[in-house]
Amino acid sequence: MTMTAPQPAATTAAAGAIDAKKIYGIGDSEVRALDGITVTFETGKFTAIMGPSGSGKSTLLHCLAGLDTLTTGAVFIGETYLAKLNDKQLTELRRTQVGFIFQAYNLVPTLTAAENITLPLTLGGADGDKAWIDQVIDTVGLRNRLDHRPSELSGGQQQRVAVARALASRPTIIFADEPTGNLDSRTGAEILDFMRLAVKQYGQTIVMVTHDPNAASYADRVVFLADGKIVDEMADPTAAAIMARMQGLGG
Amino acid sequence: MIGTLTRRSLGAHKGRSIFIGLAIVLGVAFVSASFILADSLRNTFDKLFSGISEGVDLEVRSSLAFGDDQSGTQRDPVAVELVDQIRAVEGVAAVMPNIFATATVIDREGEPVPTQGAPQIGTVWDAENTIGGSKIRSGRAPVGLGELVMDQATAERADYEIGDTVEVGLDGGRQQFELVGLVGLGDSKGYAGATVVAWDIPSAQVLLGAEDGFDAIDIELVDDSQSDAVQARIEALLPERTEVITGQQLADETKEGVNEFLGFFQNGLLAFAFITLFVSAFIINNVFAITIGQRLRELALMRGIGASGKQVRRLIVFEAFIISVVATLVGIVAGLGVSRLIVALFNAAGAGFPPTASIIKPRTIIFALVVGIGVALASVLIPARRASKIPPVAAMRPELGFAALTSTRRIVVGVIAAGLGAAMFLLGIFVAPGGTAGLIGFGAIGALLLFLGVASLSTTFARPVARALGTPVAKLLGTPGQLAKENAARAPKRTAATASALMIGVALVSAAAVFAASLKETFVDTLKNAVTADYIITNESFNGLPPAVAATIAELPEIASVTPVRGIQAQVEGETKNLAAMDLEALPDLLDIELREGSIEAATDDGILLFKDPAKDLGASIGDVLAVTFINGITKDLTVQGIYEDDSVAGSWIISIKTLESVSSATPQDFFVVARLADTATIEEGKAALEALVETYPAMKVQDQAEFRRQQEGQIDQLLAVISILLVFAIVIAIMGIAITLALSVYERTREIGLMRAVGMTRRQTRRMVRWESVIVTVFGGLVGVVLGSLLGIALASAVPETVINTLVVPTGQIIGYLVVAGLAGIVAAFYPAAKASRMNVLEAISTT
Repeated sequence: MTMTAPQPAATTAAAGAIDAKKIYGIGDSEVRALDGITVTFETGKFTAIMGPSGSGKSTLLHCLAGLDTLTTGAVFIGETYLAKLNDKQLTELRRTQVGFIFQAYNLVPTLTAAENITLPLTLGGADGDKAWIDQVIDTVGLRNRLDHRPSELSGGQQQRVAVARALASRPTIIFADEPTGNLDSRTGAEILDFMRLAVKQYGQTIVMVTHDPNAASYADRVVFLADGKIVDEMADPTAAAIMARMQGLGG
Repeated sequence: MIGTLTRRSLGAHKGRSIFIGLAIVLGVAFVSASFILADSLRNTFDKLFSGISEGVDLEVRSSLAFGDDQSGTQRDPVAVELVDQIRAVEGVAAVMPNIFATATVIDREGEPVPTQGAPQIGTVWDAENTIGGSKIRSGRAPVGLGELVMDQATAERADYEIGDTVEVGLDGGRQQFELVGLVGLGDSKGYAGATVVAWDIPSAQVLLGAEDGFDAIDIELVDDSQSDAVQARIEALLPERTEVITGQQLADETKEGVNEFLGFFQNGLLAFAFITLFVSAFIINNVFAITIGQRLRELALMRGIGASGKQVRRLIVFEAFIISVVATLVGIVAGLGVSRLIVALFNAAGAGFPPTASIIKPRTIIFALVVGIGVALASVLIPARRASKIPPVAAMRPELGFAALTSTRRIVVGVIAAGLGAAMFLLGIFVAPGGTAGLIGFGAIGALLLFLGVASLSTTFARPVARALGTPVAKLLGTPGQLAKENAARAPKRTAATASALMIGVALVSAAAVFAASLKETFVDTLKNAVTADYIITNESFNGLPPAVAATIAELPEIASVTPVRGIQAQVEGETKNLAAMDLEALPDLLDIELREGSIEAATDDGILLFKDPAKDLGASIGDVLAVTFINGITKDLTVQGIYEDDSVAGSWIISIKTLESVSSATPQDFFVVARLADTATIEEGKAALEALVETYPAMKVQDQAEFRRQQEGQIDQLLAVISILLVFAIVIAIMGIAITLALSVYERTREIGLMRAVGMTRRQTRRMVRWESVIVTVFGGLVGVVLGSLLGIALASAVPETVINTLVVPTGQIIGYLVVAGLAGIVAAFYPAAKASRMNVLEAISTT
């Protein structure tokens, strides 16, 4: 059922989209959320996707992660094209190859922090790499919070659990959707540091959607979206440079 | 304004309204079905009986000293000579002597035509007479010993036509007759399930053993307005212990009997209907409580923009009112269907109800409306009151609103309700203040309070028990099992309320099971100890056996001793008692009544044997003389010749058959016959010899002790099955309630389920998670139910006299079975919510806040 990605992409790309289009409605009411996006996300890199509201950045993330489907075009993760997968295979892919960090409500309230971290693994009936999970827990500093339920954790601690969960299964790629959107700037910076650490130290691939130039500045590369198209890119960005570019986009 | 809001709100939450409505529909349907059924049957029977006595202006019959015919009492016959004397009375237009006896119609295969308990009537057909509603539908009236007429319904069932030779089982054995006519009552083909065969008067007298007298003499008057005068003239002719009554009196008597039976039947059904309604109330209350939680923001917002608490309360109550009115009306219509279903159910169990037209009286509709709307409003009272206390700030900060929705008085109220309920229940069943009414009243209200109290208290232990039940599930199923366990434990109040609906049904079934098992065990013990006979001979259709059966058995060389057991009512010191008449010589051989004083062997025909209790009550000892007034008015002095300790088979009063025969001239019918094998024969030979008699007496059924025991046990099981089936309605509602609650929980957890789906939970795992949460909840309910039910059953079984139940048995296997059924109910209930959860759009779900 899986198809091999084209050669140029396969060697260095953890994920990507090829002429991806997502169109809602027809005729006059047609809305092109994604209008022919081709992009690859290099393995071991931290990429930020930026753009004004309605630019299609969240739609792109959802389609890349297999939560939403394209109208035309293709997306792939590792060597797998998502369009060919049924719900069960997609679920399996999300469990094993994708990590998620959402803006809020990231955790299952009935499970402890430790159980939340290993949730994707245990859902697959696996125990995971114990040593690695320990390392992740220590990295995010949750050792003494493992038996707590989400309601007993602060917002920052909850997001740290979410980061740890995303890392626990060593996925091909982690998608983060405004991971610091609900946090104060100090706690947000902490989370971004962890994400950056994961990329630098462990070679994790992360794609993050954000509208915060400061958050985007933690990335290796920023991709700018407007009206469903990629309009610009920036390598090794700074917050100031991003801000200037965003103002140019009218966001 | 509240009206508009209510309408919009109902429209916006159709699913919820339908769920609540369904719970009411089922409850109301059962209630109205109870009334519809009883009214319809009453109407049918009334028509039947007024048809039989139609045209009867006066009837002469022997009188009863006390009581009435309803208990199956047979009157003595009236003298044949009276017929001509009455015919000569001025104002009498016509006279028809009547005989009612048992005659079994045999079908073409040689088997009795089954009547499912309805009577097998042999009677007279007087060609010249028009008294009574019976009519010849085709053919002609019978003449002489070789001809009979039969009701058309029976003829059609047995595939007989005019001109056929028909075999009939009579007291003297089987005989053949030519079928010359088909009859029916009024416009109907038959007599409501009874089989009827009739001969001309002289032949009927010979064949039905009524040569010495008729059972009644029906009279038609020249002028109805002269009724009183003619009645007085006939009265003057009559010997003692004979009476003349009007046709109206006769009709009223039968009607009263029918009403008594149907009233009992109707009340029984109503009891189950109220159980169903009670369970519905739980569900409705729970659904409203949950949805108010879910609508917290909406309601708080209304408060914020200026609605008063009172208006919010009114909104909720008004919603419930509208749903309940619609649901009740639907429920009444559904009641028609349910009433048919119940008839089918009872007929399948052998009740033999005639086909009836369904009758909905205004009383039924009013009652249904009152209970349907009443239950809905009562269930919504507390949720509505809580909703009105939601502070406006909850629109922004929901956690403040939830505080308003919780109550801390639950435990106190629960303990009080459970304690008071248990006390009332025990008082009702053990003491029964005020007799049966007290027993039922205290028992029912006590049980109701007890259920409410336990439901309330179960919130305190719902969490640990759900966790304990969930632990093996989590071990077995991994993460989905773990999540199921935590979900079941996360809202103990909801889990407890949801489970309580099922708990009630399971508790009642378990109580019935414990009671039935104890009854069976006691019965088996009793039979082993008290019956030393090898064979028990009964009539399959409860019509009794002709005395010729016992007499014939006595002649068999394979049988050593035999006695019929016959009954008669009599008054001793002003109180009516049921006396058993037996062959006292054979008695010690067949039954062990544990004689304490006196001797059966020495008992004479004017003796009486007493159970120890009445002996004590009367202060009677051996040799004392009791004046016994039999139902036909004859009083006899009987000498106490024995006092015994086991009344389980023979009852508390035993007289000799000869005493009975010297008093009563009614055609005797034996309840049953017991016989003991001769030493010279084997048990198989004895059985074969007895069964050979079936050829002559088609109604008789021969059973050895084991078979008899199994049959009696089967009857108890059948009763338990009927109770269980009637409780199915309550259990169906409980399952629906679990499904509703679960669906609402799934809706509440949309975001969470979406998240789990996003991080890798498959649809199957999602379904599994919901399903097992449901199973944990239902098994929790089942567990509380079987524990409470077993205790109730033990209490009930202890409350009945030792002669009925002396051993307590808790049928463990059966009760484990109920737990398994509860678990299966959980799987059924989870079907829709699980499907809904697994089909959720992940993207939409995680975007929900």
